[in-house]
Amino acid sequence: MTPRHHPDHALVIDFAAGTLGPGRNLVLSSHLGVCPACREEARLAESIGGALLGNLPPVAMQVDALARALARIERPPAAPAPDVPSPVDWIQTPPEVAAAARRRRWAAPGVWVAPVIRGPGAERTYLLRVAAGMAVPRHSHRGAELVCVLKGAYHDGARVHARGDFAENDEAIDHRPRATAESECICLIAADRPLVARDWVGKLFQPFVRI
Amino acid sequence: MDAIRTDFHARPPAVSFAAGRLRAFGMSARDGASTGPNFSGMIVAIAERGDREAFAALFGHFAPRVKSYLMRLGARPEAAEELAQEALLTVWRRAVAFDPTRAAASTWIFTIARNLRIDLARREKRPPPSEDLSMGNAPAPAPDVVLAAGEDESRIGAAIATLSVEQAQVVRLAFFSDKPHSEIAAELGLPLGTVKSRLRLAMSRLRLLLGDIR
Repeated sequence: MTPRHHPDHALVIDFAAGTLGPGRNLVLSSHLGVCPACREEARLAESIGGALLGNLPPVAMQVDALARALARIERPPAAPAPDVPSPVDWIQTPPEVAAAARRRRWAAPGVWVAPVIRGPGAERTYLLRVAAGMAVPRHSHRGAELVCVLKGAYHDGARVHARGDFAENDEAIDHRPRATAESECICLIAADRPLVARDWVGKLFQPFVRI
Repeated sequence: MDAIRTDFHARPPAVSFAAGRLRAFGMSARDGASTGPNFSGMIVAIAERGDREAFAALFGHFAPRVKSYLMRLGARPEAAEELAQEALLTVWRRAVAFDPTRAAASTWIFTIARNLRIDLARREKRPPPSEDLSMGNAPAPAPDVVLAAGEDESRIGAAIATLSVEQAQVVRLAFFSDKPHSEIAAELGLPLGTVKSRLRLAMSRLRLLLGDIR
C-alpha cells in the first residue's frame, strides 16, 4: 500500500539538496523508501542539484589531487558495514534505525522510546512505540517534528496515519495520538525540541521521556 | 543572481590534459547537437574496463565543482578537498552501479557528494541512503516521469534557465545554502509561505519541462 500522507514539496527538495540534517534526513529516507511519488519528486530535485553542481564555478584542487586519487584507487576499499535488516513487519529503513530499537527504554505504560540520533543542538531523533489501542500522553510541540510510521497505524483526531505515512507537526498542534487497535505502532520521529506535556499523566512521565 | 542563468549558457571548460580523450567521449549518441563531454560514457568506461583516462577526465571536471559545492555549504577548503577526493573515489568504486538510463552523470555524482557530506555530519559510516533508494533496487518509476535516458545537465540547465529570477534564486538557495527556509525567507525579506510557493512553482515548471521528455 502506498502512503497517503506526504511531506511538503519544500521538504523533499531539502532532502534532495542534502540540507536537512541527519535526523530529519532519516525520516524522509524512510518515507521515500515506500513512496514512489515522493521518490520521483526527489529524483527530479536531485537532477536539478546535479545540473547546478555541473555548472558551479570550480575551486581548484591541490596540484597532486589527481595523482593521490589514482594512487588510492589501487587500494581495495574498506569492507562496507554489515547491513542491519529492518524487522519484518516494519517498512524498510536505513540500518541505523533498526539498530536503534536495541536501545529502547520504557517511557510510559505501553510506550517505549529509543534514541537514534542526538543533535545537532536540541534536535532529537528517536523511535516511539505505542502498544495497540493505547495513546501517547497529551502533548504539544515546541518547534517542528517530522514523523514516519514504520509499523502499524495511529489515529490523530479524525485522521489515520498508517505504515509509511509522513506527518509534520508544529507548535499549533496539541494532540494525543492513539495506536489503532490492530497492532502496536512504531514511528520514527525527528523533533527540533522536546515535547511539552499537556496533562498530568504526561507531566508525570516527562522525566522518563527525555531522549 | 544572474549567475545562475549565464552559467548554463557557458559550456564547461575542457580539461586540457585529457582533451583528446574528451573529444573521444564527446558526442552523445542520442543527441547529435550536444557538444559537451559525455560524462555518462566515462563512468560506463570505468565500470566496463577500469578506464583511468576517463577517471582523470571526470576528476578534472567534477572534483573542483564538488569542492566548490561543499565550500558553499560551509565546509573548510581542506575538508572540502578531502570529501571531493572521496566522492570521486566513490565514483570509481561504484561505477558499475551507475545506470545512465536513470540519471545524468552530474546527478549521480551530486547524490554521492551529498550523501558523503551527510555521512560526515553523522561521523558514522553507513551506506548512502538516498542513493540506494534512487539508484538501487527501487521499483522503476512510470515511464512518463522518468527523465530521458542519458539526459545531460545542459538540458536540465536550459530548463532552469527558463525560471524567473525569483524562482531560480530560491532553487539555488535551497541547494547551496544550509539554512532552513525560514532563515532564507528572513534574508530575502519575504514571508515563509512565499519562499515555499516559489520553490513549489519552480519545481512544477521543471517537472513540466523535464518530466515528459520521452
